[in-house]
Parts: sequence; C-alpha cells; structure tokens
Amino acid sequence: MSQLVGTLDTVNPTELSLPSAQAGDSPVLAVENLSIRLLLHQERTRSLRDSAIRLLRGRTKKRDEFWPLRDVSFSVDPGEILGIIGANGAGKSTLLKVIAGVIPPSVGKVVVRGRIAPLIELGAGFDSFLTGRENIFLYGSLLGFSQKELERRFDRIVRFAELEEFIDVPLMNYSVGMSARLGFAIATDVEPDLLLIDELFSVGDAAFQKKCEGRMESFKAKGVTIVLVSHNLKLIQATCQTAIWLHHGQVAASGLADKVVAEYQKFSAAPSG
Amino acid sequence: MSHEISAPQPGLYLADHRSSGPFLTLVRYRELLRQLVIREVKLRYKRSVLGFAWTVLNPLFAMAIFTMVFSRIFGERPHYPLYVITALLGWNVFSLGTSRGLDSVVINGPIIRKVFVPKAIFPIAAIVSQVVNFVFSLVPLFLFMILVGAGFSVHLLWLPIPLFGLACFALGVALLMGALNVFFRDVKYFYEAGVLAWFYATPIFYPPEIIPDKFKFLLHVNPMYALLESLRAPIYRGTAPPLEVLIPGLALSLATLATGWVIFHRLEDRFIHYV
Repeated sequence: MSQLVGTLDTVNPTELSLPSAQAGDSPVLAVENLSIRLLLHQERTRSLRDSAIRLLRGRTKKRDEFWPLRDVSFSVDPGEILGIIGANGAGKSTLLKVIAGVIPPSVGKVVVRGRIAPLIELGAGFDSFLTGRENIFLYGSLLGFSQKELERRFDRIVRFAELEEFIDVPLMNYSVGMSARLGFAIATDVEPDLLLIDELFSVGDAAFQKKCEGRMESFKAKGVTIVLVSHNLKLIQATCQTAIWLHHGQVAASGLADKVVAEYQKFSAAPSG
Repeated sequence: MSHEISAPQPGLYLADHRSSGPFLTLVRYRELLRQLVIREVKLRYKRSVLGFAWTVLNPLFAMAIFTMVFSRIFGERPHYPLYVITALLGWNVFSLGTSRGLDSVVINGPIIRKVFVPKAIFPIAAIVSQVVNFVFSLVPLFLFMILVGAGFSVHLLWLPIPLFGLACFALGVALLMGALNVFFRDVKYFYEAGVLAWFYATPIFYPPEIIPDKFKFLLHVNPMYALLESLRAPIYRGTAPPLEVLIPGLALSLATLATGWVIFHRLEDRFIHYV
C-alpha cells in the first residue's frame, strides 16, 4: 500500500476552519488522505475462461486505474453540519458510502467516533416476502440494533411510519411510499452521533415530508452531527455551516458553506473550456 | 486541527462500532444472524401446503428410492432405510448449506452495496439454517425409529459433536467457495458437479466395506465419511461414534473452517467491486 501513496498526486486540501468547533472536542468524523482506487477492466465479474484468455495473451494492457476519490481529507466536529456538493460523478455518494463502511478505503483512513445512522439507501435489505413487522427486525438488525432495542422502539416506528393497520402485511403489498416511510422510520428512530444523508429524501406525501423535516429539525436541535450530500445549493446554505466541494474525486474547496457554494457556482457558471 | 495519527494506514476505523476484528464484529451482529436464519427457515416453504414437512419429506423420498433400488443389494442390513436416512439428513446439512452459502454473498449483493455488514454473516446464516432444519427433523426421525422398531441408545447424546463438526466443515467450504464465487461465478457450477460426485464417493446409501481396497484411502481424506459415520453410530448402531474416525474428521473440519475463514476475510474488502 505504501508505494500506492507514493503515486498519489500531492493535492493539499484546504484545512477546514470550523466556526462552531468547541476546542478540545475530538471530531466525530475524521477523513484522512482518503483515496479509492478502481482497476477498471478488473472490477467486473469474470469467468474462468476470460481469465484464462487474459493469462494466455499475457498482461499486455496496462491496467486502467480510476480514482473515484483522491486524497480527500476533512473532519467534522460534534454538532457540525457539513454539506457536500459537486457535479454528478464527482464522488459525493462514494464518499458517503466509504464513511458508512460500505466501501473500504484503498488508501488513507476514516475514523468515526460513535454510532452512524446512514440515510443513504433506505430500506436496503427489506425482504418483500416478509411482513412489515418482520422487516423492522430484519432491517433494524442490519443497522446494528439489538432485538431489545427494536422491541422498545417498535411501536414508535410503526406510529411514525403510519402503518399500524398494515404492519402484518407482507411488504410486497406495500406501495413504494409505504416502504419508504417504513425505511425512514426505522433508520431515524435512533440517537445517532453521525447522520449521513444522500439527497434529502422525497419520502411519501407532503404531510409525511413535514414529519421528516420535523425529525431532522429535532436532530439538529439535539446537536447531532450531520453530513449531507445534495445538489440543492439553497438547502446546503440554509442547513450547513461548512461545506466541501468535490470535483473529480478531489476536494476543490472547503470551508464555510456560503463561501464554498459561491466558489462552486462561479465555477459552474463559467464557460467551460 | 491536530491529527493524532500522523501516518495514515489504509483501513476503516469506526470507534465503538466495527473497529474490532471480524469475529467480534460478527458477535456484535448476532441479532442480524438470528433474523437471517429465521427468514431462511420461514421463507423456504412459504406458500407451500406441507411447509416445514418438506425438510423431512425430501430425505424420506430419497430414502424410499434408495431402499427400492438397493434393498436387493444391501438389503441384508437390518433397518437399511434407517441406515440411509441418518446419513442423508447429515449430508443435506452439508450439501444444502454449502450450495446456499456459496451463493449467499452474491445474492445479498444489493445489501452489501448499500449498508455495512460483516459479509461472512451470509454463509454462516446459510449453514446455521441447515443445522436448525436438521435439529427439527430429528423429531420425525425418532418417530420413524419407533415405527421400524429401532432402539434408542444413551449414545444419542453424542449427536451434537458430529453435528458441530458437520457445521464447521460446511462453513469452511461455504466461506472458501463463497469468496471465490464472487470473483468467478463458474465456481458455483463446478461445485454443483463436484458435490454430486462427492455424494456418490461417500458411503451414504452403501456400506463402506464395498469400496475396493485401493480406494479406501479416500475415506480417510473425506471428512464427510468420518462425520456421517459418527452421526450414524448413535442413531443406527446404538453405539458411541468410533473415535479413531471422529477425531481426524473433526480435525479436518476445523482446518477447513480455519482456511475458509482466513481466505474469506482476506478477500472480503474486494467483494464490493464485484457483487
């Protein structure tokens, strides 16, 4: 791995200056020199035959390397709300998945202190043959909750998702909105230390969205640390104190949210050339 | 901002959550394991009228067929059907467990791509489900023993030991094959063919004595022989498992499990790019 570090471009990401940082508090999330490397033609399912052919031909082609994330460093202090912006394919969602532990870093490291609530793919792991009740325990345990915890939270989850009448119906008979509501209710019925949000959910109808926003507000009020990925720059400015602009997997700018958003807008507005 | 770590090492360190080794991470996710096993056992026979009975009916049918076909040849054995079904139930733990476990990482790709989960939990769930099925099917097996007038021996208390060996061996194979199958989907098809040959190479419906002397050595390198004989001894013969067979079988099983475990966790980090 160490020779890999040598091949990295020496990009010096701007150190974050955090307005709300309480001195002495260790960050909830620290990302240090994080890089993800993919070997393009390798990262595909091969069959033994393909491999044999490749072996016979010899490794003529140099492997195509692709770095979805390259030398990304930042940290988030307790209670801070960090926005991540950037064009499609800049690596925003990949970054969230690395923080959530889904993708292991190729280089560098990610340190999270505390419990993560990933609102990235709500309802991942729902089984449509199981009932809502059974799925609460399945998805809940997938998020790392114990059975006791889930039993204690069960009624509140069902009430929040407004699924009291349907909780013993298999999920395949649920509407998309109903599943999404259940996923949101399970994933957010926690006191997380770090909340990861990919594109503020458009879950359910207007009334339910109000409830979601209410829950977000209460998280903010409780001082939960949040990392928020969004294309909605207004939202980023309104919610986040700090922001990071990712460009081709690298940190193009970081710091106060207003400043970073302004830089990103200036860049996006400029005629590309 | 002072960084306490000056030389970053690759890896993910989540304090209080999953920073510990793979084993402790699995222990922390034991509730998920329970849920996966419940789902596997519950959903397998959903929408089938006989439901769980199929777990027993399947080997019963196989037993009936073997009895009809081979009773002429091996029929002089007392309780030949019982001889067959004890080994068949044990074999099913292995063959169903490994074939489901082998696929499980790929099948659960949608989950692996979206949330963190200790990946070994899927093969483990596949094997544990089969062990649960085996334990359930002991009830009808004992009824069957009463029906055919076979005796119950105190040596039945030995059963958990070969069953444990069976689970370890199956898990080792499932981890190993499951990891390779992520990169080469051919593994599944090779394995299915291999397991069929393995079935016939193991004395399940025939007695080990009929194996020609020059092939007898195969029995010593085949943990399934040792484990199934050890399973059969208390049920069929009413004796303790022959220790000179059981102990090497257990040793081979544990070695297989260790190998599978190490290889699986070596490759685990790369799964995400292939599932």
